[in-house]
Amino acid sequence: MVELDYDIVIVGGGGAGLYAALWAAENTILKVAVMTKVYPTRSHTGAAEGGINAVLTHSVGDSPEAHAYDTVKGSDFLADQDAVDIMCKMGAAVIYDIAHRGVPFSRRPDGRIAQRPFGGASFPRTCYAADKTGFYILQTLYEQCLKNNVTFLNEWFLLSIIHNGERVEGITAWDIRNGGVHLIKTKAVILATGGHARVYWNRTSNALGNTGDGTAAALRAGLPLKDMEFIQFHPTGLAKTGILVTEGARGEGGYLRNKDGERFMKRYAPEKMELAPRDIVARAIQTEIDEGRGCGPNGDYICLDLTHLGEEKINERLPQTREHAILYEGVDPVKEPIPIAPTAHYSMGGIDADKLGRTPIKGLYAAGECACISVHGANRLGGNSLLDVLVYGRLTALEAVKYADEAPETNPSVAKAKDDEKRILELMEADGKEKVADLRKELGNVMMKHFGVFREEKSMREGLEKVMEIKERAKHVKVYDTSKKFNTDLITALEFLNLVDLAPAIAVPAIERKESRGAHARKDYPKRDDKNFLKHSVVKLKEDGTYELSWKPVTITKFLPEERKY
Amino acid sequence: METAILQVFRYDPEKDQAPYYKEYEVPVEGTLLNALLYIKDNLDPTLAFRAFCRSEVCGSCSMKVNGKTKLACKTPMKELVETWKGKPLRIEPLNHMKVIKDLVVDIDKPIEKMKTLIPWLVPDPRVVPTDPMHESIIYPEEMEAYKDQIHCMLCFSCYSACEAVADNERYRGPFAFSKAYRFQVDRRDIETAKEKRIRYAISGGLWSCVQCQKCIHVCPKGVRPAEDIQNLRGQAVKKGFTDKPGAKKLKHFVDWIYATGQINRLYLPEEVYGNKEAREKLTKAYTEMGVEVWEVPKPTKGLMKFRDIYLEILSKEDKALDLDYSHVRKIDKMVSDIFKADICTIVDKAHEEGRSSRGLISKLKGLLGGQ
Ligand SMILES: Cc1cc2nc3c(=O)[nH]c(=O)nc-3n(C[C@H](O)[C@H](O)[C@H](O)COP(=O)(O)OP(=O)(O)OC[C@H]3O[C@@H](n4cnc5c(N)ncnc54)[C@H](O)[C@@H]3O)c2cc1C
Ligand code: SF4
Ligand code: SF4
Ligand code: FES
Repeated sequence: MVELDYDIVIVGGGGAGLYAALWAAENTILKVAVMTKVYPTRSHTGAAEGGINAVLTHSVGDSPEAHAYDTVKGSDFLADQDAVDIMCKMGAAVIYDIAHRGVPFSRRPDGRIAQRPFGGASFPRTCYAADKTGFYILQTLYEQCLKNNVTFLNEWFLLSIIHNGERVEGITAWDIRNGGVHLIKTKAVILATGGHARVYWNRTSNALGNTGDGTAAALRAGLPLKDMEFIQFHPTGLAKTGILVTEGARGEGGYLRNKDGERFMKRYAPEKMELAPRDIVARAIQTEIDEGRGCGPNGDYICLDLTHLGEEKINERLPQTREHAILYEGVDPVKEPIPIAPTAHYSMGGIDADKLGRTPIKGLYAAGECACISVHGANRLGGNSLLDVLVYGRLTALEAVKYADEAPETNPSVAKAKDDEKRILELMEADGKEKVADLRKELGNVMMKHFGVFREEKSMREGLEKVMEIKERAKHVKVYDTSKKFNTDLITALEFLNLVDLAPAIAVPAIERKESRGAHARKDYPKRDDKNFLKHSVVKLKEDGTYELSWKPVTITKFLPEERKY
Repeated sequence: METAILQVFRYDPEKDQAPYYKEYEVPVEGTLLNALLYIKDNLDPTLAFRAFCRSEVCGSCSMKVNGKTKLACKTPMKELVETWKGKPLRIEPLNHMKVIKDLVVDIDKPIEKMKTLIPWLVPDPRVVPTDPMHESIIYPEEMEAYKDQIHCMLCFSCYSACEAVADNERYRGPFAFSKAYRFQVDRRDIETAKEKRIRYAISGGLWSCVQCQKCIHVCPKGVRPAEDIQNLRGQAVKKGFTDKPGAKKLKHFVDWIYATGQINRLYLPEEVYGNKEAREKLTKAYTEMGVEVWEVPKPTKGLMKFRDIYLEILSKEDKALDLDYSHVRKIDKMVSDIFKADICTIVDKAHEEGRSSRGLISKLKGLLGGQ
């Protein structure tokens, strides 16, 4: 068993991981490595189109407080306000930093960074780089990491986190390219493994590999996951594939119409109309579809109409949207409206971490979408995730550097690595009575049906039963490819097993949160209930395989809960 | 349901002695990526390929279809079937990179090569404020200069299609030059970095590009490396890197010796000083002196072997990239025009024997301790 030795290992090469790597590389001579299952520039951050929120020095009338208020209100008051405060105050510093490193933000005629309106924001504060904001950020961060000679373990797959109950000691990982389980000794670990919306397998805007691997590994290592019931459904996923149409399409003035051509948002959010926050728009669309006002032969989608924007504006502001609509939906938005329906988009919940990204285990940090700090509470505002990713990438890096500088050497036992090796061998020798592809699809359908845009006690209980049954059946999946090199059959299976571990962690708190808040919309409890549920849910996996639920208070500093109206 | 046959390249270096093709019947629906995922989910879980975003932003899924470079998630199956009129579709990994398994190739080398060209911003403190709370002003017009280059998603399609990479393994690759050029035209990038990039570009084979334009045709993101390379050459010339007779003389020696085994006394004044009449005058003068002259030397049997040895010498000096293959090709063409296709037969034969210079360089690398 090969052993690798670092001071800090950053797991994940997306926005959070790379920004952490950069700040670590520039601020320490410790040995830092970035481990990622896909080459960094391929991470899901590259798919973020719309933009990144921040109050800049030239944002007239706007302030970090206003940003914080919008964020807290958007979160349906579940966000921790001390953390939101940190994030919003760091906005400008982070944007200027990455602009100075080369991110080609779109500019105003006077040469300053342009900002546009985005859902749920009281001022236009979303900075963007055409409609490829995340792509440019990711490429630029990667360039800067190359410049700083960051060590990359590309195409390595995190398996397990090793700790002694108090502090982290190492991790185990599979080297995808060459095969083999490795034990990696390290003083600090930053988990930046991204979201888990692939739980909804076919109905998600996320990349194929957004399977919550880091979150699942944390869960298995006994760490608490927070607010897992909150999954954001993006209102506008392409009808056929779930692939995203950016919120920018509505920001630029697109209309949502039902089968009668009605701009139905006037019945749901008369003032903000199409620019209301995602959860409200998604629910409006789902309601239109559920009540028979959907478009198309099956009435299962809604139309996003951009035709009045004209070809020039569409080409200039929304080139990628046009390309995707043509390629995946066969519709040219210049001429026809785009068929869309809600799609699972973002995981608000994740690894429980505090306002500096620290988990209960010393030396173990979480940043980006895999973490639940929580700055998004029950619902994330569009453009706030990239900000979260950068702010916490940077903060956790500095925390980790500080910690690793002083932390004693660790001595991880090989037991975990041996276990993982055994687990993989067992997968290859399983009976194969069940197929990953089938079970994965089934899991996605169950989650969408029972834990989708709308939720309800009876249906959720049924759903949980089905999920647990799938978890049982998952013991029979087999990895047919027994080779070592680039065994994608194995990776696919491991990813699926992570989803299976996470699904109940979503279902259990979803059932117990008997209220509607943010993305968690219950038909049987349509109102928010601050008296009983203004609190974070916390799920832990017990040794006997059951999921244990507890609750934790929300940090409220300035903004007292009020009704969330737009 | 309409179906199509994919003949997929399979190779597991651990198990298979040689690559082979396996046929799969797939639905003609959605993209080529959908078809591959269909195979993996329903027919053969052991097939290895890369894919992640499934929406043409991550650059994972480029491969070859009947020899043409394609991004799987951007290529509708219908279009393929129509283009190839029911013929089987041969799916293969990209060229010029080692196959790790099936359709997965080793992309570390092109990334390393790119890294040598400083593909990152080196901010000029006079333009980019060092105070993190100060914005650097950039006018929208300025960004026009690099608006295409920034779309590169490192899919390596162009690298796979490139003629110069085929000829010279150390050639940095089209995308790498585009990445470098992006910073050459960014006002925020410091002059000293620009200077260095040009120097590294030259030693990275800037003059080896044969301007075949293939990189432009295959790029799924509208990047135009061949043009960026021309612009970089323009910058190099402006900065005086190749314009000097000294540099040109060296280039003349290196290229002619490699191509023919000898320098060309007749062409030297023309190629180095641009003197077009010199050739005629010299021919006359040599003849009068009773010296035998030739316009181009006749290739002899041992030429290919000579080329190998010569390249080996250059490589030892780390000068292999001084060779300008486009020039060598021109010389080859002159030779074959004059001697009626002789050089081509020789070259072809050499290729048959598997002694292309590309193979040699990798061998050499081994010899030299894997530099
Ligand atoms: C289509 C789309 C559009 C979006 N648009 C916006 C937007 O406009 N504005 C905004 O603010 N947010 C947006 N978001 C959300 C935002 O993009 C993500 O939340 C954010 O990019 C997450 O970044 P990350 O660094 O946390 O994770 P990711 O970018 O997902 O990176 C995760 C990394 O972890 C690695 N990894 C995962 N598992 C393992 C493992 N087992 N072993 C090793 N490595 C592993 C991966 O290789 C990857 O490098 C969008 C999301 C989607 C889906
Ligand atoms: S034009 Fe130059 S860089 Fe482009 S493919 Fe041809 S040889 Fe390569
Ligand atoms: S230039 Fe184009 S083809 Fe080449 S790597 Fe970049 S995106 Fe791919
Ligand atoms: S899967 Fe990302 S480009 Fe094709």
